Amino acid sequence: MPAIIEPPPEPGATQPPLWKRLAWFFGLAAAGTLATAAVAYALKALLK
Amino acid sequence: MDLDALLLSRLQFAFTIAFHIIFPSFTIGLASFLAVLEGLWLATRREAFKTLYLFWVKIFALSFGMGVVSGVVMSYQLGTNWSVFSTIVSPVIGPLLAFEVLTAFFLEASFLGVMLFGWRKVGPRLHFTATVTVAVGTLISAFWIISANSWMQHPAGFGRMPDGTLRALDWMSVIFSPTFPERFAHMVLAAYLTTALVVGAASAWRLLRQPQETESRLALRMAVGMFAIVAPLQLVVGDLSGKEVLQVQPAKLAAIEAFWETRTEQPFHIAAWPDRAAEKNQWEISIPKIGSWITAGESAAEIKGLKAFAPEDRPPVALVFWAFRVMVGLGLAMIALGAWGAWLILRGRRPGRGPEAVRPFLWACVAMGPAGFVAVIAGWIVAEVGRQPYVVYGVLRTADAVSPVGAGSVSASLLAFLVVYAVVFSVGALYILRLIAAGPLPPGAADTEPPIKPRPPGYALGAAPDPAAHEEEARR
Repeated sequence: MPAIIEPPPEPGATQPPLWKRLAWFFGLAAAGTLATAAVAYALKALLK
Repeated sequence: MDLDALLLSRLQFAFTIAFHIIFPSFTIGLASFLAVLEGLWLATRREAFKTLYLFWVKIFALSFGMGVVSGVVMSYQLGTNWSVFSTIVSPVIGPLLAFEVLTAFFLEASFLGVMLFGWRKVGPRLHFTATVTVAVGTLISAFWIISANSWMQHPAGFGRMPDGTLRALDWMSVIFSPTFPERFAHMVLAAYLTTALVVGAASAWRLLRQPQETESRLALRMAVGMFAIVAPLQLVVGDLSGKEVLQVQPAKLAAIEAFWETRTEQPFHIAAWPDRAAEKNQWEISIPKIGSWITAGESAAEIKGLKAFAPEDRPPVALVFWAFRVMVGLGLAMIALGAWGAWLILRGRRPGRGPEAVRPFLWACVAMGPAGFVAVIAGWIVAEVGRQPYVVYGVLRTADAVSPVGAGSVSASLLAFLVVYAVVFSVGALYILRLIAAGPLPPGAADTEPPIKPRPPGYALGAAPDPAAHEEEARR
Protein backbone atom coordinates (compact mmCIF):
# COMPACT_ATOMS: atom_id res chain seq x y z
CA MET A 1 0.00 0.00 0.00
CA PRO A 2 1.47 3.42 -0.90
CA ALA A 3 2.20 5.79 1.98
CA ILE A 4 -0.67 8.20 2.70
CA ILE A 5 1.80 10.97 3.39
CA GLU A 6 3.88 11.24 0.26
CA PRO A 7 7.66 11.10 0.79
CA PRO A 8 10.04 13.21 -1.32
CA PRO A 9 11.24 11.97 -4.71
CA GLU A 10 14.10 9.47 -4.63
CA PRO A 11 17.54 10.97 -5.28
CA GLY A 12 18.20 11.10 -9.01
CA ALA A 13 14.55 10.57 -9.95
CA THR A 14 13.45 12.66 -12.92
CA GLN A 15 11.02 15.38 -11.95
CA PRO A 16 7.83 16.12 -13.91
CA PRO A 17 7.94 19.31 -16.02
CA LEU A 18 7.42 22.61 -14.24
CA TRP A 19 3.92 23.18 -15.65
CA LYS A 20 2.81 19.83 -14.28
CA ARG A 21 4.31 20.49 -10.85
CA LEU A 22 2.68 23.93 -10.72
CA ALA A 23 -0.63 22.44 -11.83
CA TRP A 24 -0.46 19.91 -8.96
CA PHE A 25 0.58 22.66 -6.53
CA PHE A 26 -2.35 24.93 -7.32
CA GLY A 27 -4.71 21.99 -7.88
CA LEU A 28 -4.04 20.53 -4.43
CA ALA A 29 -4.29 23.99 -2.82
CA ALA A 30 -7.61 24.63 -4.58
CA ALA A 31 -8.86 21.19 -3.49
CA GLY A 32 -7.98 22.05 0.11
CA THR A 33 -9.83 25.36 -0.13
CA LEU A 34 -12.87 23.71 -1.71
CA ALA A 35 -12.94 20.96 0.92
CA THR A 36 -12.82 23.57 3.70
CA ALA A 37 -15.55 25.63 2.03
CA ALA A 38 -17.73 22.53 1.55
CA VAL A 39 -17.50 21.65 5.26
CA ALA A 40 -18.22 25.28 6.22
CA TYR A 41 -21.30 25.52 4.00
CA ALA A 42 -22.51 22.09 5.17
CA LEU A 43 -22.28 23.19 8.81
CA LYS A 44 -24.03 26.47 7.98
CA ALA A 45 -26.84 24.62 6.18
CA LEU A 46 -27.18 22.19 9.08
CA LEU A 47 -27.66 25.03 11.56
CA LYS A 48 -30.24 26.97 9.51
CA MET B 1 -21.96 28.89 44.78
CA ASP B 2 -25.07 28.38 42.62
CA LEU B 3 -24.73 26.29 39.48
CA ASP B 4 -26.73 28.74 37.38
CA ALA B 5 -26.61 29.16 33.59
CA LEU B 6 -23.86 31.79 33.90
CA LEU B 7 -21.49 29.62 35.92
CA LEU B 8 -22.25 26.53 33.83
CA SER B 9 -21.67 28.47 30.59
CA ARG B 10 -18.37 29.73 31.95
CA LEU B 11 -17.37 26.21 32.99
CA GLN B 12 -18.31 24.89 29.55
CA PHE B 13 -16.33 27.59 27.75
CA ALA B 14 -13.36 27.07 30.08
CA PHE B 15 -13.45 23.30 29.53
CA THR B 16 -13.72 23.47 25.74
CA ILE B 17 -11.16 26.26 25.30
CA ALA B 18 -8.68 24.54 27.63
CA PHE B 19 -8.91 21.47 25.38
CA HIS B 20 -8.70 23.58 22.22
CA ILE B 21 -5.66 25.63 23.18
CA ILE B 22 -3.59 22.45 23.58
CA PHE B 23 -3.65 21.88 19.82
CA PRO B 24 -2.86 25.33 18.35
CA SER B 25 -0.17 25.92 20.96
CA PHE B 26 1.47 22.73 19.65
CA THR B 27 0.82 23.14 15.91
CA ILE B 28 2.07 26.75 15.74
CA GLY B 29 5.50 25.60 16.89
CA LEU B 30 5.39 22.27 15.05
CA ALA B 31 4.63 23.93 11.69
CA SER B 32 7.72 26.12 12.08
CA PHE B 33 9.78 23.09 13.20
CA LEU B 34 8.68 21.22 10.06
CA ALA B 35 9.66 24.19 7.89
CA VAL B 36 13.10 24.25 9.54
CA LEU B 37 13.53 20.47 9.10
CA GLU B 38 12.58 20.61 5.43
CA GLY B 39 14.77 23.65 4.81
CA LEU B 40 17.73 21.86 6.41
CA TRP B 41 17.02 18.75 4.33
CA LEU B 42 16.94 20.83 1.16
CA ALA B 43 20.21 22.52 2.10
CA THR B 44 22.11 19.44 3.28
CA ARG B 45 20.19 16.43 1.85
CA ARG B 46 20.87 14.71 5.17
CA GLU B 47 18.47 11.76 5.50
CA ALA B 48 17.83 12.32 9.20
CA PHE B 49 16.07 15.65 8.51
CA LYS B 50 13.76 14.00 5.97
CA THR B 51 12.98 11.11 8.35
CA LEU B 52 12.20 13.55 11.15
CA TYR B 53 9.98 15.62 8.83
CA LEU B 54 7.99 12.56 7.74
CA PHE B 55 7.61 11.52 11.38
CA TRP B 56 6.47 14.87 12.78
CA VAL B 57 4.23 15.78 9.82
CA LYS B 58 1.92 12.85 10.75
CA ILE B 59 1.61 14.21 14.29
CA PHE B 60 1.09 17.72 12.90
CA ALA B 61 -1.76 16.54 10.65
CA LEU B 62 -3.52 14.78 13.55
CA SER B 63 -3.06 17.72 15.92
CA PHE B 64 -4.20 20.18 13.26
CA GLY B 65 -7.35 18.12 12.67
CA MET B 66 -8.16 17.93 16.38
CA GLY B 67 -7.48 21.67 16.71
CA VAL B 68 -9.97 22.42 13.94
CA VAL B 69 -12.69 20.21 15.42
CA SER B 70 -12.28 21.66 18.91
CA GLY B 71 -12.09 25.20 17.47
CA VAL B 72 -15.40 24.93 15.64
CA VAL B 73 -17.07 24.22 18.99
CA MET B 74 -15.70 27.51 20.35
CA SER B 75 -17.24 29.69 17.68
CA TYR B 76 -20.63 28.00 17.93
CA GLN B 77 -20.66 28.49 21.69
CA LEU B 78 -20.48 32.24 21.14
CA GLY B 79 -23.94 31.92 19.59
CA THR B 80 -25.45 29.29 21.87
CA ASN B 81 -24.15 30.34 25.30
CA TRP B 82 -22.99 33.93 24.79
CA SER B 83 -25.58 35.38 22.43
CA VAL B 84 -25.82 38.73 24.27
CA PHE B 85 -22.04 39.07 24.04
CA SER B 86 -22.23 38.25 20.33
CA THR B 87 -25.01 40.79 19.71
CA ILE B 88 -23.20 43.61 21.49
CA VAL B 89 -19.59 42.92 20.55
CA SER B 90 -19.61 41.05 17.22
CA PRO B 91 -19.51 44.24 15.08
CA VAL B 92 -16.02 44.74 16.54
CA ILE B 93 -14.51 41.30 17.07
CA GLY B 94 -16.59 39.41 14.49
CA PRO B 95 -14.46 40.77 11.61
CA LEU B 96 -11.25 39.86 13.47
CA LEU B 97 -12.40 36.24 13.76
CA ALA B 98 -13.54 36.30 10.11
CA PHE B 99 -10.11 37.60 9.04
CA GLU B 100 -8.58 34.69 10.97
CA VAL B 101 -10.62 32.21 8.93
CA LEU B 102 -10.04 33.96 5.59
CA THR B 103 -6.35 34.86 5.86
CA ALA B 104 -5.02 32.08 8.09
CA PHE B 105 -7.24 29.05 8.33
CA PHE B 106 -7.92 28.84 4.58
CA LEU B 107 -4.20 29.31 3.92
CA GLU B 108 -3.30 26.47 6.29
CA ALA B 109 -6.10 24.17 5.12
CA SER B 110 -5.22 24.75 1.44
CA PHE B 111 -1.51 24.14 1.61
CA LEU B 112 -1.76 21.29 4.13
CA GLY B 113 -2.95 19.18 1.18
CA VAL B 114 0.27 19.94 -0.73
CA MET B 115 2.30 19.19 2.42
CA LEU B 116 0.72 15.80 2.95
CA PHE B 117 -0.03 14.52 -0.53
CA GLY B 118 2.17 16.40 -2.95
CA TRP B 119 5.91 16.02 -2.29
CA ARG B 120 6.58 13.88 -5.39
CA LYS B 121 3.94 15.62 -7.46
CA VAL B 122 5.14 19.20 -6.93
CA GLY B 123 8.85 18.59 -6.27
CA PRO B 124 10.97 19.59 -3.26
CA ARG B 125 11.02 23.37 -3.71
CA LEU B 126 7.29 23.87 -4.21
CA HIS B 127 6.67 21.47 -1.33
CA PHE B 128 8.93 23.55 0.89
CA THR B 129 6.95 26.64 -0.19
CA ALA B 130 3.77 24.88 0.98
CA THR B 131 5.32 23.95 4.35
CA VAL B 132 6.50 27.53 4.92
CA THR B 133 3.06 28.85 3.91
CA VAL B 134 1.36 26.58 6.47
CA ALA B 135 3.84 27.73 9.14
CA VAL B 136 3.14 31.39 8.30
CA GLY B 137 -0.60 30.61 8.31
CA THR B 138 -0.42 29.32 11.90
CA LEU B 139 1.29 32.58 12.95
CA ILE B 140 -1.33 34.70 11.14
CA SER B 141 -4.01 32.67 12.93
CA ALA B 142 -2.39 33.45 16.29
CA PHE B 143 -2.18 37.13 15.27
CA TRP B 144 -5.95 37.50 14.75
CA ILE B 145 -6.99 35.46 17.79
CA ILE B 146 -4.64 37.35 20.10
CA SER B 147 -5.77 40.61 18.49
CA ALA B 148 -9.43 39.80 19.33
CA ASN B 149 -8.53 38.69 22.85
CA SER B 150 -6.27 41.69 23.47
CA TRP B 151 -9.12 43.99 22.49
CA MET B 152 -11.33 42.21 25.04
CA GLN B 153 -8.58 42.73 27.64
CA HIS B 154 -8.07 46.41 26.80
CA PRO B 155 -10.76 47.68 24.40
CA ALA B 156 -9.82 50.63 22.19
CA GLY B 157 -10.98 52.34 18.98
CA PHE B 158 -14.70 51.64 19.44
CA GLY B 159 -17.93 53.50 20.20
CA ARG B 160 -21.27 52.52 21.70
CA MET B 161 -24.34 52.87 19.50
CA PRO B 162 -27.78 53.99 20.81
CA ASP B 163 -29.00 50.37 20.70
CA GLY B 164 -26.18 49.33 23.06
CA THR B 165 -24.07 47.53 20.46
CA LEU B 166 -20.43 48.42 19.91
CA ARG B 167 -18.96 49.64 16.63
CA ALA B 168 -15.35 49.98 15.53
CA LEU B 169 -14.40 53.62 14.99
CA ASP B 170 -10.69 53.04 14.33
CA TRP B 171 -9.80 49.58 13.07
CA MET B 172 -6.07 50.00 13.60
CA SER B 173 -6.71 50.77 17.28
CA VAL B 174 -8.99 47.74 17.51
CA ILE B 175 -6.50 45.36 15.86
CA PHE B 176 -3.40 46.75 17.59
CA SER B 177 -4.83 47.44 21.04
CA PRO B 178 -2.19 48.56 23.58
CA THR B 179 -1.46 45.15 25.11
CA PHE B 180 -1.39 43.28 21.78
CA PRO B 181 2.37 43.27 20.94
CA GLU B 182 3.50 41.75 24.25
CA ARG B 183 0.62 39.28 24.36
CA PHE B 184 1.20 38.12 20.77
CA ALA B 185 4.92 37.63 21.41
CA HIS B 186 4.15 35.85 24.70
CA MET B 187 1.76 33.40 23.00
CA VAL B 188 4.00 32.64 20.01
CA LEU B 189 7.00 32.02 22.27
CA ALA B 190 4.79 29.82 24.47
CA ALA B 191 3.84 27.79 21.38
CA TYR B 192 7.49 27.41 20.35
CA LEU B 193 8.41 26.36 23.89
CA THR B 194 5.54 23.86 24.06
CA THR B 195 6.63 22.24 20.79
CA ALA B 196 10.31 22.21 21.75
CA LEU B 197 9.45 20.48 25.03
CA VAL B 198 7.32 17.85 23.27
CA VAL B 199 10.00 17.22 20.63
CA GLY B 200 12.61 17.07 23.40
CA ALA B 201 10.52 14.63 25.46
CA ALA B 202 9.77 12.38 22.46
CA SER B 203 13.43 12.30 21.44
CA ALA B 204 14.60 11.69 25.01
CA TRP B 205 12.10 8.85 25.39
CA ARG B 206 13.47 7.20 22.23
CA LEU B 207 17.09 7.74 23.32
CA LEU B 208 16.45 6.03 26.65
CA ARG B 209 15.66 2.91 24.57
CA GLN B 210 17.73 3.45 21.41
CA PRO B 211 20.74 5.52 22.51
CA GLN B 212 22.29 5.52 19.02
CA GLU B 213 19.22 6.65 17.05
CA THR B 214 20.61 9.50 14.94
CA GLU B 215 17.26 11.16 14.28
CA SER B 216 16.38 11.37 17.97
CA ARG B 217 19.86 12.66 18.87
CA LEU B 218 19.50 15.38 16.26
CA ALA B 219 15.93 16.28 17.30
CA LEU B 220 16.94 16.39 20.99
CA ARG B 221 19.74 18.85 20.28
CA MET B 222 17.45 21.02 18.13
CA ALA B 223 14.80 21.02 20.90
CA VAL B 224 17.34 21.80 23.63
CA GLY B 225 18.77 24.65 21.55
CA MET B 226 15.26 26.00 21.09
CA PHE B 227 14.14 25.99 24.71
CA ALA B 228 17.55 27.11 25.97
CA ILE B 229 17.07 30.33 23.95
CA VAL B 230 13.30 30.78 24.06
CA ALA B 231 12.66 30.05 27.76
CA PRO B 232 14.74 33.01 29.09
CA LEU B 233 13.34 35.22 26.32
CA GLN B 234 9.83 34.24 27.41
CA LEU B 235 10.63 35.40 30.95
CA VAL B 236 11.54 38.85 29.61
CA VAL B 237 8.43 39.09 27.39
CA GLY B 238 6.22 37.79 30.22
CA ASP B 239 7.62 40.49 32.51
CA LEU B 240 6.81 43.16 29.88
CA SER B 241 3.29 41.74 29.59
CA GLY B 242 2.93 41.84 33.39
CA LYS B 243 3.96 45.50 33.47
CA GLU B 244 1.22 46.21 30.88
CA VAL B 245 -1.29 44.46 33.17
CA LEU B 246 -0.25 46.78 36.01
CA GLN B 247 -1.11 49.77 33.82
CA VAL B 248 -4.36 48.59 32.21
CA GLN B 249 -5.82 46.00 34.62
CA PRO B 250 -4.56 46.82 38.14
CA ALA B 251 -7.22 44.59 39.76
CA LYS B 252 -5.88 41.58 37.83
CA LEU B 253 -2.33 42.44 38.91
CA ALA B 254 -3.46 42.69 42.54
CA ALA B 255 -5.08 39.23 42.24
CA ILE B 256 -1.97 37.76 40.57
CA GLU B 257 0.16 38.93 43.51
CA ALA B 258 -2.54 38.59 46.23
CA PHE B 259 -2.08 42.24 47.25
CA TRP B 260 -4.98 43.40 49.45
CA GLU B 261 -3.69 46.75 50.67
CA THR B 262 -2.53 49.66 48.51
CA ARG B 263 1.02 50.55 49.51
CA THR B 264 4.61 51.04 48.48
CA GLU B 265 7.19 48.30 49.09
CA GLN B 266 4.68 45.50 48.57
CA PRO B 267 5.99 42.08 49.62
CA PHE B 268 6.39 39.29 47.09
CA HIS B 269 4.21 36.32 48.03
CA ILE B 270 5.93 33.10 47.01
CA ALA B 271 2.90 31.17 48.26
CA ALA B 272 -0.30 32.27 49.99
CA TRP B 273 -3.90 31.32 50.54
CA PRO B 274 -6.01 34.35 49.57
CA ASP B 275 -9.39 34.54 51.28
CA ARG B 276 -11.81 36.68 49.29
CA ALA B 277 -14.44 36.86 52.05
CA ALA B 278 -11.98 37.86 54.78
CA GLU B 279 -10.11 40.22 52.36
CA LYS B 280 -6.71 38.91 53.42
CA ASN B 281 -4.32 36.02 52.91
CA GLN B 282 -4.99 33.28 55.46
CA TRP B 283 -1.28 32.45 55.37
CA GLU B 284 1.60 33.58 53.21
CA ILE B 285 5.28 32.92 52.60
CA SER B 286 6.68 36.23 51.46
CA ILE B 287 9.83 38.18 50.74
CA PRO B 288 9.39 41.71 52.10
CA LYS B 289 9.52 44.78 49.87
CA ILE B 290 10.41 43.19 46.52
CA GLY B 291 6.81 42.78 45.26
CA SER B 292 6.72 46.43 44.12
CA TRP B 293 10.11 46.04 42.45
CA ILE B 294 9.04 42.90 40.56
CA THR B 295 5.71 44.31 39.40
CA ALA B 296 6.60 47.96 38.76
CA GLY B 297 10.40 47.99 38.52
CA GLU B 298 10.98 49.99 41.72
CA SER B 299 10.39 49.25 45.42
CA ALA B 300 9.04 52.74 46.09
CA ALA B 301 6.21 52.29 43.56
CA GLU B 302 2.73 52.30 45.05
CA ILE B 303 0.80 49.24 43.90
CA LYS B 304 -2.96 49.07 44.30
CA GLY B 305 -4.35 46.28 46.44
CA LEU B 306 -7.66 44.49 45.90
CA LYS B 307 -9.37 46.61 48.59
CA ALA B 308 -8.99 49.60 46.27
CA PHE B 309 -11.64 48.03 44.04
CA ALA B 310 -15.30 47.45 44.90
CA PRO B 311 -15.92 43.79 45.85
CA GLU B 312 -18.09 43.29 42.75
CA ASP B 313 -15.19 44.48 40.53
CA ARG B 314 -12.59 42.04 41.89
CA PRO B 315 -11.56 38.89 40.01
CA PRO B 316 -11.37 35.51 41.79
CA VAL B 317 -8.07 35.77 43.67
CA ALA B 318 -6.90 32.27 44.63
CA LEU B 319 -7.30 30.76 41.16
CA VAL B 320 -5.48 33.65 39.44
CA PHE B 321 -2.74 33.71 42.12
CA TRP B 322 -2.00 29.96 41.88
CA ALA B 323 -2.38 29.70 38.09
CA PHE B 324 0.24 32.45 37.76
CA ARG B 325 2.61 30.59 40.09
CA VAL B 326 2.14 27.35 38.16
CA MET B 327 2.96 29.18 34.90
CA VAL B 328 6.00 30.99 36.30
CA GLY B 329 7.22 27.91 38.21
CA LEU B 330 7.13 25.82 35.03
CA GLY B 331 8.79 28.65 33.10
CA LEU B 332 11.67 28.70 35.58
CA ALA B 333 11.93 24.89 35.33
CA MET B 334 12.13 25.29 31.52
CA ILE B 335 14.94 27.83 31.88
CA ALA B 336 16.81 25.44 34.21
CA LEU B 337 16.33 22.52 31.78
CA GLY B 338 17.50 24.69 28.87
CA ALA B 339 20.59 25.83 30.78
CA TRP B 340 21.40 22.22 31.74
CA GLY B 341 20.93 21.07 28.15
CA ALA B 342 23.01 23.92 26.71
CA TRP B 343 25.80 23.14 29.17
CA LEU B 344 25.67 19.46 28.19
CA ILE B 345 25.83 20.36 24.49
CA LEU B 346 28.82 22.66 25.04
CA ARG B 347 30.52 20.06 27.24
CA GLY B 348 29.55 17.16 25.04
CA ARG B 349 31.49 17.80 21.87
CA ARG B 350 33.17 14.48 22.63
CA PRO B 351 31.04 11.35 22.08
CA GLY B 352 29.41 10.02 25.22
CA ARG B 353 29.29 13.39 26.97
CA GLY B 354 26.44 15.14 25.14
CA PRO B 355 22.86 15.53 26.40
CA GLU B 356 21.82 12.25 24.73
CA ALA B 357 24.25 10.32 26.94
CA VAL B 358 23.08 11.73 30.29
CA ARG B 359 20.13 9.64 31.44
CA PRO B 360 18.97 11.97 34.27
CA PHE B 361 18.76 14.77 31.67
CA LEU B 362 16.78 12.53 29.31
CA TRP B 363 14.35 11.64 32.11
CA ALA B 364 14.05 15.34 33.00
CA CYS B 365 13.18 16.09 29.34
CA VAL B 366 10.52 13.34 29.38
CA ALA B 367 9.06 14.69 32.64
CA MET B 368 8.93 18.23 31.21
CA GLY B 369 7.20 17.12 27.98
CA PRO B 370 3.69 18.21 29.08
CA ALA B 371 4.96 21.33 30.92
CA GLY B 372 4.34 23.64 27.97
CA PHE B 373 0.68 22.67 27.75
CA VAL B 374 0.17 23.09 31.50
CA ALA B 375 1.91 26.49 31.44
CA VAL B 376 -0.19 27.67 28.47
CA ILE B 377 -3.45 26.66 30.16
CA ALA B 378 -2.32 28.25 33.45
CA GLY B 379 -1.39 31.44 31.58
CA TRP B 380 -4.78 31.63 29.91
CA ILE B 381 -6.48 31.10 33.29
CA VAL B 382 -4.53 34.11 34.58
CA ALA B 383 -5.55 36.18 31.54
CA GLU B 384 -9.22 35.21 31.41
CA VAL B 385 -10.17 34.66 35.05
CA GLY B 386 -8.10 37.71 35.98
CA ARG B 387 -10.25 39.83 33.61
CA GLN B 388 -13.43 38.92 35.54
CA PRO B 389 -16.04 40.13 36.30
CA TYR B 390 -15.79 41.57 32.79
CA VAL B 391 -15.86 39.77 29.47
CA VAL B 392 -14.84 43.01 27.71
CA TYR B 393 -12.80 44.81 30.34
CA GLY B 394 -14.60 47.83 31.76
CA VAL B 395 -17.30 47.64 29.06
CA LEU B 396 -19.37 44.47 29.38
CA ARG B 397 -19.75 42.27 32.44
CA THR B 398 -19.72 38.50 31.97
CA ALA B 399 -23.04 38.24 33.82
CA ASP B 400 -24.61 40.58 31.24
CA ALA B 401 -23.20 38.64 28.26
CA VAL B 402 -24.69 35.18 28.78
CA SER B 403 -27.53 33.77 26.64
CA PRO B 404 -31.05 33.67 28.14
CA VAL B 405 -30.95 29.88 28.49
CA GLY B 406 -31.81 27.66 31.43
CA ALA B 407 -29.28 25.96 33.69
CA GLY B 408 -30.74 22.58 32.68
CA SER B 409 -29.91 23.13 28.99
CA VAL B 410 -26.36 24.21 29.75
CA SER B 411 -25.88 21.29 32.17
CA ALA B 412 -26.95 18.87 29.44
CA SER B 413 -24.59 20.37 26.83
CA LEU B 414 -21.72 20.52 29.35
CA LEU B 415 -22.26 16.85 30.20
CA ALA B 416 -22.34 15.99 26.49
CA PHE B 417 -19.08 17.89 25.93
CA LEU B 418 -17.44 16.09 28.86
CA VAL B 419 -18.39 12.66 27.49
CA VAL B 420 -17.64 13.37 23.80
CA TYR B 421 -14.34 15.13 24.50
CA ALA B 422 -13.28 12.37 26.90
CA VAL B 423 -13.81 9.77 24.16
CA VAL B 424 -12.75 11.64 20.99
CA PHE B 425 -9.75 13.55 22.30
CA SER B 426 -8.52 10.75 24.55
CA VAL B 427 -8.42 8.42 21.56
CA GLY B 428 -6.69 11.11 19.45
CA ALA B 429 -4.18 11.97 22.15
CA LEU B 430 -3.41 8.29 22.83
CA TYR B 431 -2.84 7.68 19.12
CA ILE B 432 -0.44 10.64 18.97
CA LEU B 433 1.40 9.33 22.05
CA ARG B 434 1.69 5.89 20.45
CA LEU B 435 3.12 7.45 17.29
CA ILE B 436 5.61 9.44 19.35
CA ALA B 437 6.62 6.37 21.36
CA ALA B 438 7.17 4.38 18.15
CA GLY B 439 9.74 6.93 17.02
CA PRO B 440 10.76 8.27 13.63
CA LEU B 441 12.02 5.01 12.14
CA PRO B 442 9.72 2.16 11.01
CA PRO B 443 9.93 -0.98 13.20
CA GLY B 444 13.00 -3.04 12.40
CA ALA B 445 14.56 -0.34 10.22
CA ALA B 446 18.24 0.31 10.66
CA ASP B 447 19.32 3.72 11.75
CA THR B 448 19.75 5.93 8.72
CA GLU B 449 23.10 7.30 9.86
CA PRO B 450 25.72 5.41 11.85
CA PRO B 451 27.02 6.98 15.07
CA ILE B 452 30.15 9.03 14.71
CA LYS B 453 33.10 7.01 16.02
CA PRO B 454 35.83 8.48 18.17
CA ARG B 455 39.37 8.64 16.78
CA PRO B 456 41.90 6.15 18.12
CA PRO B 457 43.26 6.97 21.60
CA GLY B 458 46.63 8.68 21.69
CA TYR B 459 45.89 10.74 18.60
CA ALA B 460 46.03 14.51 19.12
CA LEU B 461 42.30 14.85 18.38
CA GLY B 462 41.52 11.53 20.05
CA ALA B 463 38.43 12.79 21.83
CA ALA B 464 36.88 14.49 18.77
CA PRO B 465 34.52 12.69 16.35
CA ASP B 466 36.17 11.47 13.16
CA PRO B 467 34.17 12.52 10.09
CA ALA B 468 36.20 10.15 7.87
CA ALA B 469 35.13 7.18 10.01
CA HIS B 470 31.55 8.39 9.75
CA GLU B 471 31.71 8.55 5.94
CA GLU B 472 33.37 5.14 5.71
CA GLU B 473 30.65 3.64 7.90
CA ALA B 474 27.96 5.28 5.80
CA ARG B 475 29.47 3.83 2.56
CA ARG B 476 29.37 0.35 4.06
